[in-house]
Amino acid sequence: MPIQLKYFCVAYKNKNIMKLLKLPDILFILLLLLGVSSIKAQTLIRGKVTNTKKEPLSDASIILKNTPTGINTDSAGGFSLPISVKGKQVLRISSVGYITKEIDINPQDSVLYVDIVLKEEGKMLGEVVVSAGSFEATDKAKGASLTPMDAVTVAGNGGDIANALRSLPGAQQIGEQEGLFVRGGTSAETKQFIDGALLPNPNYASVPGVPQPARVNPFLFKGILFSTGGYSAIYGDALSSALILESVDLPDKSSASLHIFPQDVGAGLQELDSKKKSSYGVDVHYGNLQFYNSLVPQKPRFFHGPEYLESDANFRIKTSKTGMLKFYTNYGYNNTGMRNPDIDSTNLLSSFQTKDQNIYANLSYRDYLSAHWKIDAVVAYNYDKNTITNKLENQQFQQVFIPAYPYNEKNSIINTESNFAQVRAVITRTFAHNQAIRFGAENFYTNTNYTYNDTTTTLTGNTTAAFAEGDVYLTKNIAAKIGVRAEHSSLLDKTVLAPRISVAYRFADGGQINAAYGVFYQQPDITYLVQNGTPGFAQATHYIINYQKKANNRLLRIEAYYKQYNSLVTTNPAVNDNGKGYARGVELFFRDKRTFKDLDYWITYTYLDTKRMYLDYPSEIHPDFSTPHTVWVVAKKFFPNINLSANMSYSLATGRPYYDMQTGINGKTFISDHGTTNMYNDMNLSFAYLFTMFKKWKEKDFSGIGFGMNNVFGTKQVFGYNYSYNGLNKVPVVPPATRSYYIGLFMTFGIDRRDDFINNNL
Amino acid sequence: MKKTIIILSAVLLTGVILHAQGDTQKLQQDVAKLDNATSVNDYQQLAAGFARIAESEKTQWLPYYYAAFCNAKTGWLNEDDPDNIEGYANKAEEQIKKALSLLDTATQKKELSEVYCVVSMVNRARVFMNPATYGRQYGPPASMYIQLAKKANANNPRALYLDGWEKFSTPKMWGGDKNKAKELLLAAQQTLAGNISAGIEPHWGKKEVDDLLKQLK
Repeated sequence: MPIQLKYFCVAYKNKNIMKLLKLPDILFILLLLLGVSSIKAQTLIRGKVTNTKKEPLSDASIILKNTPTGINTDSAGGFSLPISVKGKQVLRISSVGYITKEIDINPQDSVLYVDIVLKEEGKMLGEVVVSAGSFEATDKAKGASLTPMDAVTVAGNGGDIANALRSLPGAQQIGEQEGLFVRGGTSAETKQFIDGALLPNPNYASVPGVPQPARVNPFLFKGILFSTGGYSAIYGDALSSALILESVDLPDKSSASLHIFPQDVGAGLQELDSKKKSSYGVDVHYGNLQFYNSLVPQKPRFFHGPEYLESDANFRIKTSKTGMLKFYTNYGYNNTGMRNPDIDSTNLLSSFQTKDQNIYANLSYRDYLSAHWKIDAVVAYNYDKNTITNKLENQQFQQVFIPAYPYNEKNSIINTESNFAQVRAVITRTFAHNQAIRFGAENFYTNTNYTYNDTTTTLTGNTTAAFAEGDVYLTKNIAAKIGVRAEHSSLLDKTVLAPRISVAYRFADGGQINAAYGVFYQQPDITYLVQNGTPGFAQATHYIINYQKKANNRLLRIEAYYKQYNSLVTTNPAVNDNGKGYARGVELFFRDKRTFKDLDYWITYTYLDTKRMYLDYPSEIHPDFSTPHTVWVVAKKFFPNINLSANMSYSLATGRPYYDMQTGINGKTFISDHGTTNMYNDMNLSFAYLFTMFKKWKEKDFSGIGFGMNNVFGTKQVFGYNYSYNGLNKVPVVPPATRSYYIGLFMTFGIDRRDDFINNNL
Repeated sequence: MKKTIIILSAVLLTGVILHAQGDTQKLQQDVAKLDNATSVNDYQQLAAGFARIAESEKTQWLPYYYAAFCNAKTGWLNEDDPDNIEGYANKAEEQIKKALSLLDTATQKKELSEVYCVVSMVNRARVFMNPATYGRQYGPPASMYIQLAKKANANNPRALYLDGWEKFSTPKMWGGDKNKAKELLLAAQQTLAGNISAGIEPHWGKKEVDDLLKQLK
């Protein structure tokens, strides 16, 4: 309603005013209404609009509320607005990205000065999120931030999230083993979690020198948080790094899929109910590399497999508007047998076979109990049975027994049967400005029967942890996360307390500085606990500082850290926990989706300086799973005209140290030989050609042919050296084959899931 | 007293008419400016102006429609700066919902068609935030609203343009078709040339269509 009209209504209703209105007044108002502006009583409102940082806001809009009277600020944030009404008014100031403000004015004089400060709008910039030490890939990522798809489509990762994340800073290129070696830590010091629960065996049972694939489909996740240090107090038992995975909720649509590769065939289906309230799915795939290995000769002579069978099943139920119940289970079997020349003799063979069965189940539930209270609960169970058979054989593959050292240790059967169960609940109370208090508890149960030849050791333990964490909002641009975690291990009979704190400060330009401090504990691996000795929790203290900026489809991140290790497991001469060490480094990540059209690339650089006294190391040395410099270039391009997508990854790393440890007459180890391997470089390419075969079908197929090649240049990669017991024979540790290849067909029906398959088989 | 009331009523009426004219004039001015807008700055200035008119003309769908269009367009112009889209998309969505609520969807088919075009643009702007992930969520509604816009008014050149844009920008594999795009854009061009009435009715699109056709050559 125009202001004058309102004025009159008010005037008419108010008899006192009516009485006051004499004819000249009415005439005056009449004239006023007729638009004779020259006699309007004007007030000039002048002022300046700035943001909280005192920067002028141009193009902010100033309106006299409920009137069309208004103006925009000039480039210096200034404005001057003539208004023709007196009395109390409301001035409304708005600008995109800022919270609209209304101020009361009471124009009396001819000029009224007002200075207005607008606060940044929460929705636009959002409250600052603390991100020291972590890479987060979510399906909500904007611009150059990582999405789960970006993370898992790195060429050459073989469908393993951990492998894909090696292209991010902090990870080392360890070609002879699966897992993530982060900032001077071993792969055992990185733990994976699904919806809050530990995933005890992310990969198939290890085979010496041959990295094993991941069990879990990387496309199961909508959120991947790769923390290379300083992670949250709600997770524990990982000295170096945590890989925190959040599984998808309901699928968009029902779908079916199949894939045929020489190495692997499989099929799956996902069914979404018609009300979109629940879904279930099953997947099964089988792989046997015998055929592939007959085409591409491998250095170890495989007498069985490598053979893999994997099946998984899931159901997901939307229990309420905000509630979600999810179940995921998988069963994996692998059987690999291989022979290599025995390192201690010229004509004997060393035979190795591993058979492994693993079942994992994860049931998680989350819901809002009320507007501000949320629960996240999970129970998980894992069963694993692994049999490793080591044999010393002659050229006719007959087992031979030689009673003298070292040959007397070359025939063995190692059986490991383990049960793992976890119960966990986290309660979150949310407050304004993304603030929250989180607290919870969890219990891990482990039961392991370890049988070496005929001797069985049984270990049963419970680890209980309680934790609390607060997300604190100080100002729009300063936030902190403060947490503490208490852990008690019944096996070690020890309790530890781990404080964690991280803070973030955001600059006006969107750049952000993060810092973190935290103490992390991990129980020694079961293999050391079954031996004599009483090691305690290993401890690491992390100090991290980083800067990152995101703008214009580019992301830059620089991080520096220092870590101090204490109480690492040592085995020289007996199992103990007097190891120690440090790690420090600088890491760089730059991603650019803008400069080259349709080309997305990132570059990472990792500098690492680490030394530790650990296991049988005689003193603090550079561990053999670390190298000072690592560089990655990852590039992805889609050619829409020919329906071809191309992915490339190139990594370059300085050589790794290697050692020959010998035991002296005093029973202590010493380094009898050492060196550094040559530079490592690896170029992987993968392509996918996409097409549709049955265009007429109701649920037409989305198909593709994927092909790729790892180590395109065929460079000689040496990961280290193995020594004979007397140190005289030195054999390089190299990949099973110089290059590896794949080609295959994948089809999906109902929903375009081709990306999943392309990347699963990179 | 009676006289006063009569006079007052007359005055009131005059005021309303005068005011309606004032706003119409302002709207007309801004819509005319819109014809020459190119930069984010231009569109943001106009978005603020339209929002201001909408503030006083709360029953008119056009000011909300134009404010929403300017914000959605800003989202499109920021395609290369995807961290800087969501705020505009949110604002545009809020405004276009208001415009929609002011329409009688049963009778005002032409207006509805225009509103749907902007709804589609808002969804498309969200896709730009990260096509790989948001595409799956916001791509289908973006297309759906183009089809709804065409259903409401088959000759809406802006719906034809958006349809053409989509056919042009989508890879062939996912239903893109450069020939079909050209066909749609030419049809849009023709319709746009047919009604040059540069009033306050939505008539944008010529520049967009011409630019795209140039790229298609």
